[in-house]
Amino acid sequence: MKIPSKPTILALAIILATPLAANPARDAIINALKQQAGVSSFSAEEGKALFLATHSGGKPETPSCTTCHGTNLKAGGKTRAGKPIEPMAVSVNPQRYTDPAKVEKWFRRNCNSVLGRECTPLEKGNILAYLSSL
Amino acid sequence: MPVTYAESAPRRRSKSIPVWDAFVRLFHWSLVLSTGAALLTGLWLGASWFTLHLIGGTLAVALVTSRIFWGFWGSSFARFAAFVVGPRRLAEHLCELAEGRAGRHIGHNPPGGWMILALLGTILVIGLSGVVALGGTLKTGPLAVAVDYATGALAQDLHGALAWALTGLIVLHVAGAVFESLRTGENLPRAMITGTKELRDEAAELPPRPARTRPALVAGLTAGAVVLGAASTLAVRQFPVPGAPIPPARFDRLYADECSACHIAYHPSLLPPESWGRLMATLGDHFGEDASLDPASTRAIAEWLTVAAARPTDTKPAREFARVDPAAPFTITKTPFWQETHAAISEATFSRKPIYGKFNCGACHQDAESGWFYPGNIDIPDTPKENSR
Repeated sequence: MKIPSKPTILALAIILATPLAANPARDAIINALKQQAGVSSFSAEEGKALFLATHSGGKPETPSCTTCHGTNLKAGGKTRAGKPIEPMAVSVNPQRYTDPAKVEKWFRRNCNSVLGRECTPLEKGNILAYLSSL
Repeated sequence: MPVTYAESAPRRRSKSIPVWDAFVRLFHWSLVLSTGAALLTGLWLGASWFTLHLIGGTLAVALVTSRIFWGFWGSSFARFAAFVVGPRRLAEHLCELAEGRAGRHIGHNPPGGWMILALLGTILVIGLSGVVALGGTLKTGPLAVAVDYATGALAQDLHGALAWALTGLIVLHVAGAVFESLRTGENLPRAMITGTKELRDEAAELPPRPARTRPALVAGLTAGAVVLGAASTLAVRQFPVPGAPIPPARFDRLYADECSACHIAYHPSLLPPESWGRLMATLGDHFGEDASLDPASTRAIAEWLTVAAARPTDTKPAREFARVDPAAPFTITKTPFWQETHAAISEATFSRKPIYGKFNCGACHQDAESGWFYPGNIDIPDTPKENSR
């Protein structure tokens, strides 16, 4: 059969993913957040919990990140107005989280919409860690 | 002088005579179809039937134009001279009718003749007002460069009022045909199919002399009129139409990138400058989301929008959406015009995929981002399979 074995796919994925995960622009963003948060590492688990949870502090139209981004983050989401949103997972969308201004803009807007406040550097870092781990 | 029906007692085995020639019959039933389609789509069906409305209306006007030529150079019974009588003769006939001694007319009777004129004239004026409305409100058609929105809107009101008048005339016309069929004991609608009628009194009913028909002349004149109409429409396409919306290619890059990240890029002509200003000042609470931008981008987009919106766009959406709801100065869906034009669409239709909501103009209006909103470009998407159980 021409279908490669599972370990082969995995190895290929790792080879492909490694340089992407190590994107210097994204690393710089995450490192800056580490400094602001005063931590040495972020928790993908906590980022996941925050991302998937339903919140009540924000605007009623957007109770969760998943309202627009969906629960399958390797697939695209949709804005409330029906515009497609590119996948959030770095593994399928390597360009994600490499433009600091863009990252700040969307954190500011979306944290305010969903939580009713800005996210802390720790929360931002955890979420980026989660989305980079997918 | 036609004999009264009472005198010309039915002689059943009389011979038949050709009355309605092939042109008249084909014209009549084609006009029934085209006018019917135009009235049905214009008065009862929604704007998404606009293309059929234009086809029906255009065909009706072309048919009427041809029929008018045939009224001068057609066969005996088709000529205006054969059935248009003066008001005195009309009054006489109505008196005779009232007294039950009115005669039978093998062609159109006096009120029937006037009805033909009224129908032809009304259809022509409806067609003309439609072209004026098309030019003024939608910036298309042969008069696009010549008519402003106010004139176009006025023409559209006339167009609609006359359409109801035409509907009334059609009802009267059919009622007249039924009445006359019952009164004279012959099936008039069938005569408009077969073309022949029963000859009951040769002396009274035959036309004085058979007229020489000029089919080539009528065909030529009709073709000329149609070509002239089509050519003027095409000629207009060569000019930039004043007041037409500026195409989306000239969208400001920043506006297009930032605003259409979440929703369609609304054309600047859809709101007055003050409304855009208010909208840009309140991005932090933008229709249920925080859509704030950095101050420099906010300023740049606000400036572009207000300048672009201040350009005189003379289309129907631009003029009508300018009358905003003071309580919601930048919510297009709260304007009276939006609500009137979307009243027939259910909430369920708006909320289903892939429409998502009233704000998503582009889901149904294929040309939403151009700001044109031509009714022929409406295509309300079907319910997706996963939802249509």
